[in-house]
Amino acid sequence: MADLLAVQAAFAAALRDRAAAPDATSCLAGDPALAARRLGIYRANVAATSARALGAAYPVARQIVGDEFFDALARAYLAAHPSTSGDLHEFGAAFAEFVAAFPHTRSLPYLPDLARLEWAVHRAYGAADATPLDPAALAAVPPGRQAVLRFLLAGGTAVVQSAHPVARLWEIHQPGFDGAFDVDWSVAQSALVAREGLRVTVTALAAGEAAFLSAVLAGVGFGDAAASALAVQPDADLGGLLGRILSAGLLAGLSFEDS
Amino acid sequence: MKLAGEAPGAATMTMSPATAVGIGLRQPHYREAFERRPALGFVEVHSENFFHEGGASLHALERAREAWPVSLHGVGLSLASADALAEGHLARLKRLVDRIEPALVSEHLCWGGVGGVHFNDLLPFPYHRESLALLVERVERVQETLGRRILVENLSAYVEFRDSEMTETAFLAELARRSGCGLLLDVNNLYVNGANFGFDAQARLAELPGDAIGEIHLAGHHVGEDGLVDTHDARVAPAVWALYAAACRRFGPRPTLIEWDAQLPALDVLLDEAAQAAATARDATARERSDG
Repeated sequence: MADLLAVQAAFAAALRDRAAAPDATSCLAGDPALAARRLGIYRANVAATSARALGAAYPVARQIVGDEFFDALARAYLAAHPSTSGDLHEFGAAFAEFVAAFPHTRSLPYLPDLARLEWAVHRAYGAADATPLDPAALAAVPPGRQAVLRFLLAGGTAVVQSAHPVARLWEIHQPGFDGAFDVDWSVAQSALVAREGLRVTVTALAAGEAAFLSAVLAGVGFGDAAASALAVQPDADLGGLLGRILSAGLLAGLSFEDS
Repeated sequence: MKLAGEAPGAATMTMSPATAVGIGLRQPHYREAFERRPALGFVEVHSENFFHEGGASLHALERAREAWPVSLHGVGLSLASADALAEGHLARLKRLVDRIEPALVSEHLCWGGVGGVHFNDLLPFPYHRESLALLVERVERVQETLGRRILVENLSAYVEFRDSEMTETAFLAELARRSGCGLLLDVNNLYVNGANFGFDAQARLAELPGDAIGEIHLAGHHVGEDGLVDTHDARVAPAVWALYAAACRRFGPRPTLIEWDAQLPALDVLLDEAAQAAATARDATARERSDG
């Protein structure tokens, strides 16, 4: 009797590659031709399930390339990066790097950054609920300690830096968007992904703001984060940005670099 | 609301009453279901859809939990995989169970992946002593971790294995006896397999221990060229209603769920199917009482 691992390995190989079906059908009862066709039902299910999961994580990419192309893209992605978890919400983590290298999406140079943005949105949706910090705690920081102040941002907060107008692309493909369907392709646009309460928001960031928040998310203190922002954008309005972060409830905690 | 069997370590897991009928609650129906709060015995969701740490999905499930008893139905634990048990997956299931305090927790008699690759599908395997020993150990481990009994569901399948030494129903009966787990009898799956493999589904009911059955599933299937396919995208077929009536006559009423996952219809269609399940169970058990 073949052990369970051998049977499952043969079955798995047949699901990944039709050419491997004979090894699997030799483990199956009944008419081998019928068993081979029925293995195909499983193969089709796996393809459909993974395309659906990928489309749920990347709804804007799906709209942009179209359903038919997206399904083909999903099949190629599945072959290159099969699911490794029983939780399909984790499937698709490498899609941005996949489309960046995929020959048939080279004509869409913004697609990898857009995919990174959509993955950040996907992750933010299920991030832990955060309790916003009382703004008084920020006001109470002594001026001499501000440079080493670290901001802890709410779970799901992410910055996606891009040379393309990804925040705008995301915005105009949202359900219910009824504004003008136009994009200024000359604009480099980074995006802030955030969970505001239960809602996931995407907002465009100026270059300095993106540099500042990326540094903050990496655990850099306020002094060095501000310096990196002003280096790329001397007129960056970090006070205004902090005000927006506070009012959106994204500041979840404070600590200091030296303690 | 505290249901019998919710407490960790409870020896039995029964949903009261046994005549409860419920529906699979899916995201497109949330708004309407929360507004109308239909009188359902319970609702069921896929556990993995709520493995998040926070956010809108979990918030919706907590709202559902305020309105109805909730059943958590896992689709990704891969109990029968030759790979090691996915500890991270089990830990997230435990976190969810602790948070929601569901009335029922169920998993499938299947594997979903091997060699580190997951197919996110419910795959069959040979039913023999080796696989039975593995399943007993796994189910015990899951029940120990969750601190409660789970239900294990029979699978719809399109292929059978040469190495099988027993039927799936006999395998489940032995699994329940040795691990102490309950069973989730999917009547549509049993019917689909009977048609696909040429056995008498009603006769197989006799192999199941009635006391262990904690829930029944009903769903629609598709008649394909190479056999029946368990699609969960249609009303329950007449022959499946007949098999359900036979199960009710044999086992008495059990909490029964209408599962509908693809091409989701209006909420009212699901409620109508649930009402038909209640009526079928009532008629079948009344007839049984008057016959007996």
